[in-house]
Amino acid sequence: MAALSYYVSVLAIFACIYSIITLGLNVQWGFAGILNFGVYAFVAIGAYTYALLTLGKPIPGASQTYILGLHLPFLVGLLAAGAVGGAVAWALGAVALRRLRSDYLAITTIAFSQILWLIAGNETWLANGWDGVSGIPQPFNGLLKLSFNDYNFFFLALSLVLLALVVWLAQVMLRTPFGRILRGVREDEVVVESFGRNVSSLKLRAFVIGAVLASVGGAMLAAYVGAFNPSAFLAGETFFVWAALLIGGSGNNWGAILGAVLVPVVFTEGTRFLPNIPSNPQLIEAFRYVIIGLLLILTLKFRSQGILPERPDRFERGAKRGARPSSTPIPSDDAGEPPHA
Amino acid sequence: MLEVRDVHKRFGGNQAVNGCSFTVEPQTTVGLIGPNGAGKTTTVNLISGRIPVDRGEILLNGNPIHNLPMWRVARRGLTRTFQISRELRALTVMENMLIAAQLQRHEGLLQTVFELPRIRAAEKESVRKAFELLELFQLTRLANQYAGNLSGGQKRLLELARSLMTEPEMLVLDEPLAGVNPTTARNIAEYIETMRARGITLLIIEHNLNMVERLCERVVVMAEGSVLAEGNMKEIRENPKVVDAYLGTVV
Amino acid sequence: MSILLLSVGFGLITASVIAIAGVGLSLQFGVTNFVNFAYGDFMTLGMYLTLVLGTAFGLSVYAALPLVVVLTGLAGVLMNRLALDSFVRRGANPIILLITTIGVSLIIQSGLLAIWGAQFQKFSLGPSQPLHLGPFIFTPRQLTVLGLAVVAMLAIHVLLRYTRLGKAMRAMSDRRTLARVVGINTTWLTDWTWFISTAMAGLAGVVLAINTASFTPSTGFGFLLVIFAAVIVGGIGKPYGAMLGALIIGVITSVAASYMDSAYKDAIAFGFLILVLLVRPQGIFASRGRG
Repeated sequence: MAALSYYVSVLAIFACIYSIITLGLNVQWGFAGILNFGVYAFVAIGAYTYALLTLGKPIPGASQTYILGLHLPFLVGLLAAGAVGGAVAWALGAVALRRLRSDYLAITTIAFSQILWLIAGNETWLANGWDGVSGIPQPFNGLLKLSFNDYNFFFLALSLVLLALVVWLAQVMLRTPFGRILRGVREDEVVVESFGRNVSSLKLRAFVIGAVLASVGGAMLAAYVGAFNPSAFLAGETFFVWAALLIGGSGNNWGAILGAVLVPVVFTEGTRFLPNIPSNPQLIEAFRYVIIGLLLILTLKFRSQGILPERPDRFERGAKRGARPSSTPIPSDDAGEPPHA
Repeated sequence: MLEVRDVHKRFGGNQAVNGCSFTVEPQTTVGLIGPNGAGKTTTVNLISGRIPVDRGEILLNGNPIHNLPMWRVARRGLTRTFQISRELRALTVMENMLIAAQLQRHEGLLQTVFELPRIRAAEKESVRKAFELLELFQLTRLANQYAGNLSGGQKRLLELARSLMTEPEMLVLDEPLAGVNPTTARNIAEYIETMRARGITLLIIEHNLNMVERLCERVVVMAEGSVLAEGNMKEIRENPKVVDAYLGTVV
Repeated sequence: MSILLLSVGFGLITASVIAIAGVGLSLQFGVTNFVNFAYGDFMTLGMYLTLVLGTAFGLSVYAALPLVVVLTGLAGVLMNRLALDSFVRRGANPIILLITTIGVSLIIQSGLLAIWGAQFQKFSLGPSQPLHLGPFIFTPRQLTVLGLAVVAMLAIHVLLRYTRLGKAMRAMSDRRTLARVVGINTTWLTDWTWFISTAMAGLAGVVLAINTASFTPSTGFGFLLVIFAAVIVGGIGKPYGAMLGALIIGVITSVAASYMDSAYKDAIAFGFLILVLLVRPQGIFASRGRG
């Protein structure tokens, strides 16, 4: 029983962390329509920043070499991770967002991500190269000194608190003029600009906010796993975040969380009952990717808005609130369904 | 209020606007007419800041706007509509209206987190105003419909209603009557007259010359990138150069 | 100086591979107007198909080549019919199409991973003695690669200039709406475009494997960004531009690698790619921007 609850708590922690990252992508893509295929680059930036700040001084001659090692506490590491991720996003976005159409932006973010990966792996003095850093201290456990199982639940509580904060932030953004104008930018930049908005600035803001969330998620990842290396941020990882968002429902914060829970769960559990063929150990693994890929394509084909679609605001004279707008047919050709992308 | 001075714009091999000059006095309605390819829409794009001028100046209330980006021009009180309705399809009619509301100072993360009550109050005010406008354009029952599901005529009306949300000093309408049935056209003409009554300065590109005559005190005729003639509709009809430009079409 | 020339020589070989791949990608983008992120995986498909034909039917790499090219071409048509066509007909957002191709990419890679595993595979080719040709050193194998690339480029050139299909492709690429209105049979055009595009990918894959000796299920995907670099430098949608872009990228990365840590060879290409995208996204050779 303890084993099961431990297992569930591990899944739950990863679900929380994934949710935070996916919520970040939701701000970039779901709200503002920015095609960022370098999500995991920011997760890595957050993870490495956190690691390099919370680790102790590197011991000369020991197995790892890295810079900094300031042994700072959890909160400082977390905030710094977000700040660094935001700063990098600001720099990249200021240059790239303004000029590039979507598919070129996608390619640029991938290229950026790859360059970062190459640097992280090859420059061993930075963060121990391909082997990565490990031994990242557990948040607060120096103080609490909890047992293995208990610490897990503690970290889960920590993750849930952080997730709650992020969800609140994302929701409040969505239901206010800021979120609405970002959705406008997604639909038609020219129109939004014609109403007196600096679209480049808005896009940059969305990009940075999303990157900060991804970096914070990365910091939590590093803090929990206690280690981080370049293999953790291959191109495929970004794809999972995208799959999570698109399947769960882009533009919808609860959809983002749903997807973040669903995709890893389906991924790890979906092939549980397949027999493990000893001569072909990665068959199961590969099968998981195939399932996710199929799930994504099927979602795009048959329910392109995802499981939980975006819900605009509904307004009544004199009052507000309520989500889904009326779908009573009006005298026109189409039904009251959301228009397809 | 608006002064276009010797404006030029070239696209590759095509001199779309070639020394165009005219003015629009405050609180008047000026029509901009001319055969296809005369450079009318390009001129509107230059005025609204969507494209930069090669040469010449455009002044709004005496201040140069000709190389400002579109959003800055809009903030100075000049709003434009588009020839083909650009409704935000995946947003509702009401949300479309609210996008136009000038809530820029609330559109940031820090403001959203720390000034929520003030934002809610401002939004409530915008919602009230939006409903008023929707009422005027008889679109109230569509308030929570996705804008993408509206009929062509309704989209045109939304485009107009939305432009009024910005409380513009000057409104540039790019073929507001294009492609609508006669009933809707008459309605739109009435709405434009309401706008005139509210004291908004109007520049209207239109091909429907009867409507132009009804709505505009003055008419500017463009052909081949520059102004061919100016005056009231009667003077325009009698101008042989204009008749020539339209190649014999009944003016 | 001789090192420089040597690396230029190597660069030419790399450029050959990139050129074959780049032309295929550029052609497809020109006609369909969205990026196929699974393109690299059709290269990988070509490599593994060659392996299969070798082990199952004892065909040598070169003997299997024509068959592999045709098979990967058909695979591309299949992918379009199954996954993409219905979206395209609906007039879907190119971004949805792009993401769908990523899904396909994942499926292909994982499928290959499931069957063969992640270990490095190689073609059974005999040893190849280097030849000295002036200041350059090539093996006969590398010359074959170069030769195949030249043949492929010529074939594409003939296609575009002299065949009905080629003219339709150019029409679609240059004046999309007009081409549609004029009534070019889009099904015929699309099928053939995908066939040629992924066939080129298959060819490029086999050629790459011949050149670099070993491959895994993710080899092609890893090559994708380099292909993008070449295609975008040359102007996306312009096959001739892709050829020149391939030359530039191939030679620059090769020369740069001889002067710096070769681990960053690809990073040079990526950096170049980002630079071109930011400064002149329509490519170095484009006369008309494609924005």
